[in-house]
Amino acid sequence: MFRAALVDPQIARSSRGLWGDAARRLRRNKPALVGLFCIVLFALAAILAPIISPFDPYAMNGSSLDAPSLTHLFGTDLLGRDIFSRVLYGAQISLFVGVGAVVLALAIGGVLGAIAGGFGGRIDGVIMRATDVFLSIPSILLAIGIVTALGRGMVQLMFAIAVSYAPTFARLLRGSLLALREADYVVAARTIGASRMRVLVRHMLPNALTPLIVQATLVLATAIIDIAGLGFLGLGPADPRTPEWGTMLVDARRFMQTAPHIVVFIGGAIVISAIGFNLLGDGLRESLDPKLKR
Amino acid sequence: MSDQHLLEVRDLVVRFRTHDGAVHAVNGVSFDLAAGETLGVAGESGCGKSVTNLAIVGLLPKPAGRVEGGSVKLQGRELTTLKEEELRQVRGSEIAMIFQDPMTSLNPVLRIEEQLIETIQAHREVSKEAARARAIELLVAVGVANPESRLRSYPHEFSGGMRQRVMIAMALALEPRVLIADEPTTALDVTIQAQVLDLLRRLTEERGTATILVTHDLGVLAGMADRINVMYAGAVIESGTTDDLFANPRHPYTVGLLRSIPRLDGETGGKLVPIEGRPPDLIQAPVGCSFYARCAWRTDRCATETPALLPIDGGRGPVVTSGAAATHVAACFNPVAPAEVAEGRPLPRAGGAIR
Repeated sequence: MFRAALVDPQIARSSRGLWGDAARRLRRNKPALVGLFCIVLFALAAILAPIISPFDPYAMNGSSLDAPSLTHLFGTDLLGRDIFSRVLYGAQISLFVGVGAVVLALAIGGVLGAIAGGFGGRIDGVIMRATDVFLSIPSILLAIGIVTALGRGMVQLMFAIAVSYAPTFARLLRGSLLALREADYVVAARTIGASRMRVLVRHMLPNALTPLIVQATLVLATAIIDIAGLGFLGLGPADPRTPEWGTMLVDARRFMQTAPHIVVFIGGAIVISAIGFNLLGDGLRESLDPKLKR
Repeated sequence: MSDQHLLEVRDLVVRFRTHDGAVHAVNGVSFDLAAGETLGVAGESGCGKSVTNLAIVGLLPKPAGRVEGGSVKLQGRELTTLKEEELRQVRGSEIAMIFQDPMTSLNPVLRIEEQLIETIQAHREVSKEAARARAIELLVAVGVANPESRLRSYPHEFSGGMRQRVMIAMALALEPRVLIADEPTTALDVTIQAQVLDLLRRLTEERGTATILVTHDLGVLAGMADRINVMYAGAVIESGTTDDLFANPRHPYTVGLLRSIPRLDGETGGKLVPIEGRPPDLIQAPVGCSFYARCAWRTDRCATETPALLPIDGGRGPVVTSGAAATHVAACFNPVAPAEVAEGRPLPRAGGAIR
């Protein structure tokens, strides 16, 4: 009975890692949970679109510009296509292109940032000047330029957004690595004879990762808006029938007076998914920040 | 006398290139270290203690810091010209280091286990299980309770003293010949300090590890060091056995250092005396004695000529540079007379060319 009380809590408590700690703090963060809920909603819509969407998003299933009803939850568009189904499939596109773009941007930016911050010297200068050039062009403008040059299409869209965000990631990672280079445990790792590469990969990168994760989540929100923005500008997927949110908005805009619900539902979908990633990103920033560790 | 020394540092010069010009961080430091002895290095912040140590293991912050002259020989093998890969082999397995702040010297995202095993596997071709077994052995040796379960812990789950024990375990993992402890206890509170120092002394004695113990705490040195180098402005200005140095300091700076700490055996109620002034700006190339500006014993000669490190008794007999019989040397043209030590100021002398 009393023995339990005698056990040193330090020993009895199973060791929680960085992620365990972060998850615990995240659970107490209300806005982040709201964000997580939005993201789950968004992801479920995307993944389950083929199962839960009541109609074929490409087919005409009703009359033109129907108001929301039990058959057509979000109503129909000009061509009589079910907007609910189209929004669900649109989520699929946003999720696929958005996540793809961010992963690609992370890969490009991560490698460049790791080289720049890890090795320094001339290579650092070259990479940083290159990112300066890219960062001096507004990202949406850069993306427009790339899509124009490569032609319209989902992969091109993904690539364009990835290229416009990669420099941000490169800078961020480089900055963290530079700060870490003088960190005691990095110097300590080198004094025990760890190789340069090992120090970079095992000691520096994991410690530089958290700001990158936070930034990636936040960028995912902007990426979703950018995809819709490019679609709105007519630079979305090559096939104009594709249920991409931005492309759909262009059509819906013309009927804002007569059928405003279309804009509201599509806009709502964009807002919910973007806000979800924003809130989660902020929450992650707070829960991963080692300074707030208790 | 060169062959029996484990580590020989000769005329080491380290400069840092900055926007304001070269910082003369280390200006011709020479010392020897024999196997198994503990060399204390004392001096105020910025006097080149830590830079000397980083230069020995080739870890000066690049590209600003560079060894611009002199040599560092470990068992006769020159270290300053070694390639990075060869130096890497030396670090950890032959020369290991312990740093000041145990709170920041362990990687926060890796378990203790991973960091210990990494140290062992960086140098030895052993299986993970063997390395793990060795890690447990090491934790036991440094007095960590429940080593098996503690191996799975992260650094933030340890207290400062415990972390420093882990750091010591890591440093001693490969039985290095030389251990450089850079202010190993400065960040710990006093009771823990004593425990950690005891542990350090016991382990280095058991293993015959030669230790360079850097600190500005002369009390620590009195209890730990066989020999002490006093450094000022990037140079060793006095060196001798701990007994010699405490009993008979000759350099005005050493006298100042000793007078600025409380002593248990001295008179009570006496005031502690700080050393007036500041250390010189190391951006200027040193001319004359670096302590000139703050020195009460200075002579005209001190302004223009740099004193060499010479035996205090005028240089009779061979100079012994290590071990318990090390010659007491000081770099001063006008050394402090024994009677002046307690006074802390020069007394009129017969030949008296004071200022």
